[in-house]
Amino acid sequence: MTEQVESLIKKDYAAGFHSAIESETLPPGLDEDVVRFISAKKEEPEWLLEWRLKAFRAWQEMEEPTWAHVHYPEIDFQAVSFYSAPKSMDSKPQSLDEVDPELLATYAKLGIPLHEQEMLAGVAVDAVFDSVSVVTTFRAKLFEAGVIFCPISEAVHKYPELLKKYLGSVVPQKDNYYAALNSAVFSDGSFVYIPKGVRCPMELSTYFRINEMNTGQFERTLIVADEGSYVSYLEGCTAPMRDENQLHAAVVELVALDDAQIKYSTVQNWYPGNAEGKGGIYNFVTKRGIAHTNAKISWTQVETGSAVTWKYPSCILKGDNSVGEFYSVALTNNFQQADTGTKMIHLGKNTRSTIIAKGISAGRSNSSYRGLVRMNPGAEGARNFTQCDSLLIGDRCGAHTFPYIESKNPSAVIEHEATTSKVSDDQLFLCQQRGLDAEKAVSMIVNGFCREVFKELPMEFAVEAGKLLEVSLEGSVG
Amino acid sequence: MLNISDLYGKVEEKDILKGLSIDVKPGEVHAIMGPNGSGKSTLGNILSGRPGYEATAGSVTFKGQDLLEMGTEERAREGLFLAFQYPVEIPGVSNMEFLKAAVDAKRKHHAQSDLSSVDFLKLARETCKRVDLDASFLKRGVNEGFSGGEKKRNEIMQMMLLEPDLCILDETDSGLDIDALQIVANGVNAMRDGNRSFLVVTHYQRLLDYIIPDYVHVLAGGRIVKSGDKSLALELEAKGYGWLENEVA
Amino acid sequence: MTDFQQSALQLANKQQAATWLQPLREQGAANWSAASWPGRKTEAWKYISLAPLQQQSNLRWGTDADDSAVDSVEQVELDATCLVFVNGRFNAARSSALPAGVVRFSDANAEQQPLIQQHLGKVVDSERHLFAALSNAWVEDGILVYVPRNKKLDKPLYILNVATPEAESAVASQRLLVVLEEGSEAEVIEHFASDAREQNGFVNSLTEVVIGANARLQHYRINLEEENLLHVGGVHVDLHRDARFHGFTLAQGSRLKRIDYQLNMRGEGAHMELNGVYLPRNKQVIDYHTNVEHCVPNCTSNEVFRGIIGDSAKAVFNGRIHIHPKAQKTLAELSNKNLLTSRTAEINTKPELEIYADDVRCAHGATISQLDETSLYYLQSRGISAADATTMLSFGFINELLNQVPEQAIQDYLRPRLSSLFGQASERVGHLTYE
Repeated sequence: MTEQVESLIKKDYAAGFHSAIESETLPPGLDEDVVRFISAKKEEPEWLLEWRLKAFRAWQEMEEPTWAHVHYPEIDFQAVSFYSAPKSMDSKPQSLDEVDPELLATYAKLGIPLHEQEMLAGVAVDAVFDSVSVVTTFRAKLFEAGVIFCPISEAVHKYPELLKKYLGSVVPQKDNYYAALNSAVFSDGSFVYIPKGVRCPMELSTYFRINEMNTGQFERTLIVADEGSYVSYLEGCTAPMRDENQLHAAVVELVALDDAQIKYSTVQNWYPGNAEGKGGIYNFVTKRGIAHTNAKISWTQVETGSAVTWKYPSCILKGDNSVGEFYSVALTNNFQQADTGTKMIHLGKNTRSTIIAKGISAGRSNSSYRGLVRMNPGAEGARNFTQCDSLLIGDRCGAHTFPYIESKNPSAVIEHEATTSKVSDDQLFLCQQRGLDAEKAVSMIVNGFCREVFKELPMEFAVEAGKLLEVSLEGSVG
Repeated sequence: MLNISDLYGKVEEKDILKGLSIDVKPGEVHAIMGPNGSGKSTLGNILSGRPGYEATAGSVTFKGQDLLEMGTEERAREGLFLAFQYPVEIPGVSNMEFLKAAVDAKRKHHAQSDLSSVDFLKLARETCKRVDLDASFLKRGVNEGFSGGEKKRNEIMQMMLLEPDLCILDETDSGLDIDALQIVANGVNAMRDGNRSFLVVTHYQRLLDYIIPDYVHVLAGGRIVKSGDKSLALELEAKGYGWLENEVA
Repeated sequence: MTDFQQSALQLANKQQAATWLQPLREQGAANWSAASWPGRKTEAWKYISLAPLQQQSNLRWGTDADDSAVDSVEQVELDATCLVFVNGRFNAARSSALPAGVVRFSDANAEQQPLIQQHLGKVVDSERHLFAALSNAWVEDGILVYVPRNKKLDKPLYILNVATPEAESAVASQRLLVVLEEGSEAEVIEHFASDAREQNGFVNSLTEVVIGANARLQHYRINLEEENLLHVGGVHVDLHRDARFHGFTLAQGSRLKRIDYQLNMRGEGAHMELNGVYLPRNKQVIDYHTNVEHCVPNCTSNEVFRGIIGDSAKAVFNGRIHIHPKAQKTLAELSNKNLLTSRTAEINTKPELEIYADDVRCAHGATISQLDETSLYYLQSRGISAADATTMLSFGFINELLNQVPEQAIQDYLRPRLSSLFGQASERVGHLTYE
């Protein structure tokens, strides 16, 4: 890549402000008492406390995974605070008017107004601030349709049977190191239930914000789409700019019962660290869905943030004819590292999966696709198509592909392709000759490279994703 | 030889043939013409037993037997040959290996002994010459890297080797220059012996200048809408298909 | 250290190696002892188990006391210099006279010894390749092929390694070092075979190749041993400026068969091509690991591997391409295609790209699929039965790569043997096609 391209690398992280909000924050450290404290704080029933403790004990026995193509200093879990909530939330505000205006201002500044009349029509938002859900909008309207959309901490009390049945049913407590940690200390997150045959009348969305210093965020999301239902869900995430690394270890579980469809979209813009690689979020996330007969789960993600990303939204295609999709753009710049991809586990007959993964690396960053496609003996007639493309901007970054492809069924068909390319000087020159500046030209080329994924995003998000990419790439060209 | 009676057929849930009837007697050459999408290729595919092509009603008898009850390879061994419009390329399987397997299969079916390798090679080389293909084609993969014309000549070469009773030519003339067309036509004409029958499916009249048909049928909307002698082909050439469709409608 | 590691080390003590080989043997022993034994969580051994090896207690060296096994092995009919080994022992009686430049390590003279010392164990990274460390610890004999500047090895070198069962299971260590000076050329065929009896041995084979500037090696590695023979092998190649490596490898599976190919593109303008075929059946396993290191700019690499996995067999293919930061203008491609022909067969494939340079063109593709339906129909429409058509197309899938083998004698050797594997009349493809 030309010097000119290089010199343009500089990054402006618009969401990097800190809000002066008085919080109740647990001192750093993790032991059983912390788990008990969180459970007590949420006034949880005994079964859930036991569930957490089981996870915690398992976690203590587990080892941090090292197989990902990422490098970071060992995390001192005793230096992390596992619970932080705005003090104002203690009084349990019953309506938006009772919510601390500073909190609302924070979201407004992030472009997420929480007053329903100001919001994008057709999008309901659950706003999670550090360890608690601040507000969930449009609940009444959703309730009319029979849709449940509330903080998971509330669902524990209101819908204990659903929780007991599905919590941990897709990602068990001991699934992996970070999932076990999350199961022990998860603080809040969203719960969604779509009843049989209901098409959710609006987009559901959760906006995650980390605000406090030295605090980890451990949210847990559970979406259950009952038979024949449909839901589209979006999540967004940001955090202040800080020199210290902060930990985010979330779990998302999706259950698509027979004939149901879940579309899950993420625009992940956690603070990526500065241009020297200082600070930023460690984003260790377990996302998995289970698709029953004729069901469909579609993951779309645009990953531009975080210092380190370790994330593999996956589908267990259990039911016959079920469908799994994974569309991903992972952009890394400066010293960011992303190891992300998916797993498609084909169990049922005639199951189908599609994987489109686009990795863009700039600066000194590394972006890896890591995926697993597995055809079990019962996956008669199953199909997978995978396309992984990498785009390198500059000669100090890395782009990698690690696909695991396993088949035990002779009638299953798997096709995997990967390519790599660069933003060529010729392309740049052509654009510049037509009067575009280099930065705009690169952003156009990159957008074109990602088009297949962007078209899977809900419209409002697609626009945001394009802009985000532009900001993240700022300075990557010269 | 071949009697098709009120045949209905579909491809991927789409009805294509809608009551098609033709009777082909030994030694006759029937031309089937029709506009694009009329079902011309579907007919050949259904007759040869291509997976995905299904006869839904009607009957087809071939040499007195129920053709539709027979498997793809059985039809071939009984003497039905389809020269494909788009012959598939099969890299790694040599023409020679392929042809020997086909000839052996047919001979075995008719309780004849296998040809010796030497005899077969001689026969294959001679046949290549008859359609102006270099004998080196025998060593190459089936249709692998062949030009359009070479593929069509390879089809005719197979037809000569297998000596079928009924030859179906599916738009064999498409994409051929005049020289290749003549080679193909000469090959076909050389095989006319008073007993062997031909079903020549084509969009253009051109091929029929070289292979003179006894009957010409016009296929439109999945059935025969007009039949006549070779003059019908010339009439179609002059007027196009539009007038017929109007006349039928 | 595991018992196996321990007992393998003890085996080294029973050798009488020349003192000038001692440093390499000691280094090998140190690497071997220091290595942790691979398990399922060891990435390089994720899909196959070394258990069949560990079950071999009381290791002993193979002998060539009974070399009649060689008579029962059909050889490639080739005008070549033929070197025969039986259970790892060089068999002079059955070998050709060694031409200039080809010498046994144990016969190396004062000029050749430093050459061997300079390269042996230096192409391979024995810290990353466990069984290369073992091979180093076991270096006692081997073959050096040295072709001086701008010379060409007159005839192909055909190395036949024959395994035959002994009363108690025995070990063979095979070692080959090929050094091609600038502008030189050679053709080397390594053929691993056994007699038809049920085998009980273990072969650890290691080939190191240094291809100097503008030099060219045509290399073959054929593994057609009886399925109870355990085999772990590696081919490690350094390519210097404008060097060429053309490789072909074919293997049937066994209770344990693992073959590593490591190609290091060290000089600009180097080019390598490697085609491979694996055909495990019954309960065999086979594991091919290939790794191409593009260390410098302007090199090209192209790999094509195909496998047919039948019965209850298991195949593993891991093809890694690593582009170093300076290796601009690299062109690297890899294709891996697989056919599973049974409900109990298994394939695990992982084509990997690790790229640290932006101005490169790299691509890989992997498929697991069935035979093409249109092709099946075409064959059937010519009267060929479904079963025969399937056989022909399966063989054709492999034959595409056989057709590209430059040495006709190897095509002629393999084609009928492989076609009979697919239950096809070998006469049809063996003689007719290429009379």
